[in-house]
Amino acid sequence: MECIITIELGTNAVRVFAFDLAGNVVASSKGSYPTFHSQPDYSEQDPEQIFITMLYVLKNLITEKLHPKRYDVRSICFLASMHSLLAIDKHGVPLGNLITWADNRGKKEANELKHSDLGKLIYNATGTPIHPMSPLVKIAWVKNHDPERFNKTFKFLSMKSYILQQLTGEYVIDYSLASATGLLNIHTIGWESKSLDFAGINSERLPELTSVFSSPGKLRKEFQTSLGLSPDTRIMIGSSDGCMATLGAGVWREDKATVTIEDSGAVRIVGKEVLKDEKQRFFNYLITKNCYVSGGPTNNGGVVFEWFAKQFGDFSVPFDTEQIMEGLIRDAANVNAGSDGLVYLPYLLGERAPLWNANARGSYFGINIKHERSHFIRATIEGILYEVYSIGKILQEHRAINSLSVNGSFATIPFCTQLMADIFNKPVHTVANFSSAARGAFLLNAIDMGIYTDLEAAAGSTPFQETIYPRQHDHATYAKYFKIFEKLSVKLEEEFEEIANLQQGGE
Amino acid sequence: MNQFYLHQGHSSELTGFPHISEIAIRKNTSIQLDSLVSSIVNEIRIYYILDGKFDWSINERAYVLYPGDLAIILPGQKFGGTKGCMDIGTVCWLSIGVERVEQQRKIIFGTWSGLSETESLTIGNILQLNNTSVLVRMKDAFTIIQTIKDELSQQEIGYATRVNHLIDELLILVVRQSTHQMNLRRDFPQTFTKLEQTLRQNLAHQWTVEEMAALIGLGTTAFSEKVKNYTGFSPLNYLINIRISEATRLLKQQEMNMTEIALETGFYSSQHFSTTFKKLTGYTPVEFRKKK
Repeated sequence: MECIITIELGTNAVRVFAFDLAGNVVASSKGSYPTFHSQPDYSEQDPEQIFITMLYVLKNLITEKLHPKRYDVRSICFLASMHSLLAIDKHGVPLGNLITWADNRGKKEANELKHSDLGKLIYNATGTPIHPMSPLVKIAWVKNHDPERFNKTFKFLSMKSYILQQLTGEYVIDYSLASATGLLNIHTIGWESKSLDFAGINSERLPELTSVFSSPGKLRKEFQTSLGLSPDTRIMIGSSDGCMATLGAGVWREDKATVTIEDSGAVRIVGKEVLKDEKQRFFNYLITKNCYVSGGPTNNGGVVFEWFAKQFGDFSVPFDTEQIMEGLIRDAANVNAGSDGLVYLPYLLGERAPLWNANARGSYFGINIKHERSHFIRATIEGILYEVYSIGKILQEHRAINSLSVNGSFATIPFCTQLMADIFNKPVHTVANFSSAARGAFLLNAIDMGIYTDLEAAAGSTPFQETIYPRQHDHATYAKYFKIFEKLSVKLEEEFEEIANLQQGGE
Repeated sequence: MNQFYLHQGHSSELTGFPHISEIAIRKNTSIQLDSLVSSIVNEIRIYYILDGKFDWSINERAYVLYPGDLAIILPGQKFGGTKGCMDIGTVCWLSIGVERVEQQRKIIFGTWSGLSETESLTIGNILQLNNTSVLVRMKDAFTIIQTIKDELSQQEIGYATRVNHLIDELLILVVRQSTHQMNLRRDFPQTFTKLEQTLRQNLAHQWTVEEMAALIGLGTTAFSEKVKNYTGFSPLNYLINIRISEATRLLKQQEMNMTEIALETGFYSSQHFSTTFKKLTGYTPVEFRKKK
């Protein structure tokens, strides 16, 4: 029997899935790797550890789960988190650690560029919001603050490009990941000269651009042997986790949006045209020619609820965060919609869309003497989802959205899914697959093999598991509180800046 | 609280216990210059504060201790009053001599202890790695010290065994509390990150699952399960993963030879390194270094 393997190089872990050709998961495995924060704004990972972890997990999956069941691996498709940057020298040796999307060291570079005319041009050309997450900004930071590394750098890679180079010897990047670097012109699908100039590099110092369907070449012989794979196993470059989570969630029509909430979250739509936004609030990432995934990311998803659980949960059993969170959700369900007037701004990690304000901070508003612990729990969850809705709301200024498809560990908690239906006032679909991103990569691979004719047909193959409908009464309540939420989120701008300065040790 | 003071060589109660150098409760009513000058301690000392406020410097760090606090000073660490004198208050303490301290944190307690060799090595190791000299809310420790004192003065049948058991119990209590105080037991990812840092800094050490589990204050079964859940690997496989990752980095740097890399990253030999490396990557380390 044949199977397809997808390898997701995520923020904290590599997740490997094997699908049969009908799209059923036949085996899966994961391996985590740590993130290092050597300074407050730094967020780095060891590229060798990512590579070794991936090899280890892949090898175990193949030898322990696939070979005993007589599965042959027909192809391997990759997907990865966006915005990572790794500098390598001319021997291919990493110069320092991989810089992840969460790294904020380029704050100053980003801020200056964002408010310049050049910034506007670059945003319109590349579709990537000007932000420290963007590899464009990161390269500029290396140029300005680490000239030795900058000068030694033969190529600036993404995490996936490095892993593929280790496996096949080729330096490549797919359109999707490239369109999240701030360096790719998403209209012409070539490196953008204004970005290159700003970063101080030429296109020679970037990997080769290829379609998401292309292959960098065969696995090196040594890996064929150690992994037990045939030389004909096709290596497919694949896409980004964000684009694949959208494809795998079954959304490919213009009137639908996906909401993904894990630690962080995003609201995404798909279309043939980019979203133009004066305020530079949306990303526009490319999957294939004339096919864009657009939307807005939030920093403050499940991570905020987890923060709450760790601070205020009752830990009689050590480290049992999951059970604590379940208990909290039960308590939250006993409180009225709207938390009897307690409103929460969830900006613990600053915020990207729609505020794009790194200084934004969290706040409980409207506390009165009758509010109890359970009100705070519910308000926290409502606040996270109001924030997600605020992204969806501005997306609707550009596109009509009639229904949502949700995925991610936080969004698929039934309590949260119902709240989203109520707040958005739209039906919400859940999908059966437990990893939409991996399913997306499977579908991409299946299109390449001719199993589906195109992206739309592939996306349509994902069955919805359940549809949750909005409750009108609750929607009316949420709508009233959301108005206050929205006003507060912009009203406090000055105070956000003052408090953030104090927190960072300023005067 | 009645004061008492037993001192090895002077108090007959300690004759059968050469490893106990002092056990005492003392009420200090006046400040005397140079009464607690900083010096290097060559035994394990445990202080428990009953009354008053003490400014101490332990292992180059300043602490203020209040009633209920316990200080633990390990062989080789510096200890004294921050101002060189004993503050006013009541304090109780126990000093236990150790047989020897070997290179790299190996404390050998001596034959009196009922702890197994692995357990006593782990306890010494964890105490030093945790590097927490002051523990809070340690009333149980005081109860144990008081019981030791009672056993020593009453000398009922079996007291010699009980005294030594109680000292073991006290050490176990201290090491557990020190780990629990280091880890809030709420956030596994954060705690695991800290553990991973410790592993990386001591990669040449032959870590056991017991040691790793003890470092974050879990039993080995719960620890293995949590690690597997969180990382996808068993603790020992996770360790191999870090060893090979670090070896890969060192191979690319072209500075160390194979044996050096093998030992630096915790493999038994260059042969062991080579086999493990090839099994995973398909390359021997030598081939890997040459490849482009």
